[in-house]
Amino acid sequence: MTKNTNSLNVNIVTVRDGKETTVAFTYNKRAEKEKPMALDVLMQAQSEVIPDLAFRYGCRARNCGVCTIDINDRPRVACRARVKDGDKLSAIATLPVLSDLVVRRDGIARQMRGLKTSAQGNDLNVDAPEVYHDLTSCIECYACLDKCPMHMRNFADKLPKYNDNNLPNASEGYIHGNPFSLLKLERLRNDPLTSDQGKNIALNKAIDLGLDACVECPGCKCGVGIDLKNKVIKPLLKAAKDKL
Amino acid sequence: MTIETEWLSYDVIVVGSGGAGAQAASAAAELGASVLLVSKDPLGASDTKISEGLATVRESGSDDDIEEVLSENIKLAGGDLPIKKLTDTFSKYSKEAYDKYREHGLRPSINKSKNRPQSLPLAMGGHNRNRSVGHENHGVAFGHANWDAIIKEKNIDYLEDAWFLDLVVDRNNKSTNPVIIGGLIYDASKGVLLAINSPSVIIASGGLSTLFFPKTDTMRGNTGDSYAIALRAGADLVDMEQLQFLPFCLASPPSYEGLLAGEPSTASYLGVLRDKNGKIILNGVHLRTRAACSEAIMRAVEDGRGSPNGGAFLDMTANKELPKSGPYFMKYLQDSLPTAYINARQALGKEAAKVEVAWEVRPGAHYMMGGIRVNDDGASVGGDDEGSVKHGISGLFAAGQAMGGLFGANRLGSTSLTELAVFGSRAGAAAAKYSLNNSFKVNKKLFESYINEYSSLFGQKGSIASNILRDDIQKESWKKIGPVRTAKGIKEMEDKIKEIETKLNNISIPNYFIWNQAFMDFVELKNMICSAKLIGLAAKERNGSIGGHVRLDAKNISIFSRPYSTVVHKNNNTYLVKKLNRTRTPLKNLIYYKILEKKRLLEARFLSMLPKNIKDKKLEKKYKDIMSASGKAPEIMPGGTEGAIGETTSV
Repeated sequence: MTKNTNSLNVNIVTVRDGKETTVAFTYNKRAEKEKPMALDVLMQAQSEVIPDLAFRYGCRARNCGVCTIDINDRPRVACRARVKDGDKLSAIATLPVLSDLVVRRDGIARQMRGLKTSAQGNDLNVDAPEVYHDLTSCIECYACLDKCPMHMRNFADKLPKYNDNNLPNASEGYIHGNPFSLLKLERLRNDPLTSDQGKNIALNKAIDLGLDACVECPGCKCGVGIDLKNKVIKPLLKAAKDKL
Repeated sequence: MTIETEWLSYDVIVVGSGGAGAQAASAAAELGASVLLVSKDPLGASDTKISEGLATVRESGSDDDIEEVLSENIKLAGGDLPIKKLTDTFSKYSKEAYDKYREHGLRPSINKSKNRPQSLPLAMGGHNRNRSVGHENHGVAFGHANWDAIIKEKNIDYLEDAWFLDLVVDRNNKSTNPVIIGGLIYDASKGVLLAINSPSVIIASGGLSTLFFPKTDTMRGNTGDSYAIALRAGADLVDMEQLQFLPFCLASPPSYEGLLAGEPSTASYLGVLRDKNGKIILNGVHLRTRAACSEAIMRAVEDGRGSPNGGAFLDMTANKELPKSGPYFMKYLQDSLPTAYINARQALGKEAAKVEVAWEVRPGAHYMMGGIRVNDDGASVGGDDEGSVKHGISGLFAAGQAMGGLFGANRLGSTSLTELAVFGSRAGAAAAKYSLNNSFKVNKKLFESYINEYSSLFGQKGSIASNILRDDIQKESWKKIGPVRTAKGIKEMEDKIKEIETKLNNISIPNYFIWNQAFMDFVELKNMICSAKLIGLAAKERNGSIGGHVRLDAKNISIFSRPYSTVVHKNNNTYLVKKLNRTRTPLKNLIYYKILEKKRLLEARFLSMLPKNIKDKKLEKKYKDIMSASGKAPEIMPGGTEGAIGETTSV
């Protein structure tokens, strides 16, 4: 194919009924020198070639955290990830695909159901430490699931394949944790309104989720730049060192 | 093969997992109700999560911020259209509702000497007291609190990837008003329909700005679901012509189209709007209302003098050029609306970021002030005046952007996050009490027609894709019922809608059930059509400009005329539109506001005519006054009146 500077050739991986298809798509730039984001490419593909192409998006400004996809097998937030000629766009590999680039996400949040740590009736007028706010900047994009050994335990240490009939039931919540869940727990531990008992509940939950997997792990990478290793994993490991 | 239907029963269904939905579910569960919360987007991914994160908390900034003061403030800002009972309720419960958020992990800075949340150090324009509390991480902090509120409660079952399709209503008992008996849901991750028996449903599924995509700065999911679902069930919708557009959104490059670039006040003292020929089309931009800015831009576009991407040029270079005050201006621009400045810098490049060139801008849809007609419990009402539940739909509740009647024609900054906290938790509690105290009879038969209607869509043969029609309606809505409107345009939109409706049964929907994108697109398209109709009917009824409704072919509605709201209702297949009178604020307050407006505009004109060096000195002093001791300019709220100082006067 001749090189055309007004277009980009990308591969979009679609998934229907468990069948994976790679669709070659030529993106036509809408403006001279346009450097499109992955989301722009998906939207154009949907309006021109694959009318029912499935993908998620929300705010288009890297705040809502729902449009994460894999670009060349690495997780990126689609609305703020520029695309190059020859890039491959596919669903994030760490969660089961529902259709095309849409994965089922709810098994993550559900593993925290019913976890109550805040002591009621406390004085609410207490300042939270800086680290509490650092952790609150998480937008829940799930980029951190990438290469997480703890999360992979949910799928027998492999990536979840849609044609696998033995996937765990997301409706029950995944048994094994992930950096996001650990962040939520560490955030609770840093909340000045969490009682000592509540802090223990949070720590024990982290251990139940498989914190031991972090001991040998080189660390995880956050999609929006939170220092997960130093602000989440290390403090949890330190607090749990006698319990692991 | 037909999609399967599963049956479930709950005391309360909550539609939406943003701020209003989370607060409602939490309040209902606390009273012991079994709650099903459904959300089409992932849990908590909502406009609340992407907001600027400022909340109105009465008495956070001063001790004399009594209930009456805040209540009247909201009513005046809304052009006298707001219902006093609702502004009173907002005012009375703002602290309590905000504390609920704190119980779910929202952590503001604390004012130690007063032992209360620290408000911003100034009254945001339009507010008559300091009472806006800011938060680190902006809306994302609220997003976490919503998530936590839903997750920690075992009484709340939640479904994401689940489209709430329709309310199921019993209209058979002629002696009572229509009664909710449940709702029908498409669970996309499981590939089934869920028929839910439930005596009450709380609609908290946000606004409709995606009707104008890509000219919006909000979440994609705002496809008007709240209003369409309520309308189909026979509820009243109020003030649906009152849609807030932000005038200065990015027009290019495409990835950034529609995202916020600034507000009238960030244009600062010397900002002007220019057409493509460089001619000034609006001066004194920082003192104008959003509507006036949008109108100037759209008039130039209509006249063929618009910018390449259908907008105009916001020229702030005169601020930057002055040697002494210029650096202060840059600091002000960067600090006062940081997310907007970052958007502009990324989208428009270095020269624009240094304000060496003008920015191309265009209006973007932001917030629906109108919505489902409710009382102070968020319960559906009908009839005259403030309405009564006797004439509403029993068991139907609404909160957040889905509800109407609180803000009227305009909204003070930082009030929407408080609105959803106050009315979300009130609706949740009221719905729980309603369900637990009334006998309820399951009536599966009434679900049949709904189930048949939706299940027969799977496998619908056709030659059109929903998203082609969606793009079409988005484009037309922008032109005809968008930031500026004419009687002719509104009529043309009606015709357009009719044309699109004839194509609906020619839309192709494949016959598979797990995450059927075409089915969801179809459902959303229908809701967008419904919302466009609502806006059009209300806009036709209000034949003059006020607040978020700008008519190019009619006069401004005088502040001295009797204020009224519009109400739209659907009975069988007939739409009924009416006016409802509202009480007027005392005359002397109105005159006072008018005088202030004139004074400010005169001062601005005087300033712009001064010799350059004197102007520079005066402006330097003004900037120093605005910026606190730290040298940082206070942040403002997109959509708030401090972003459009002119709006403080548009009673």
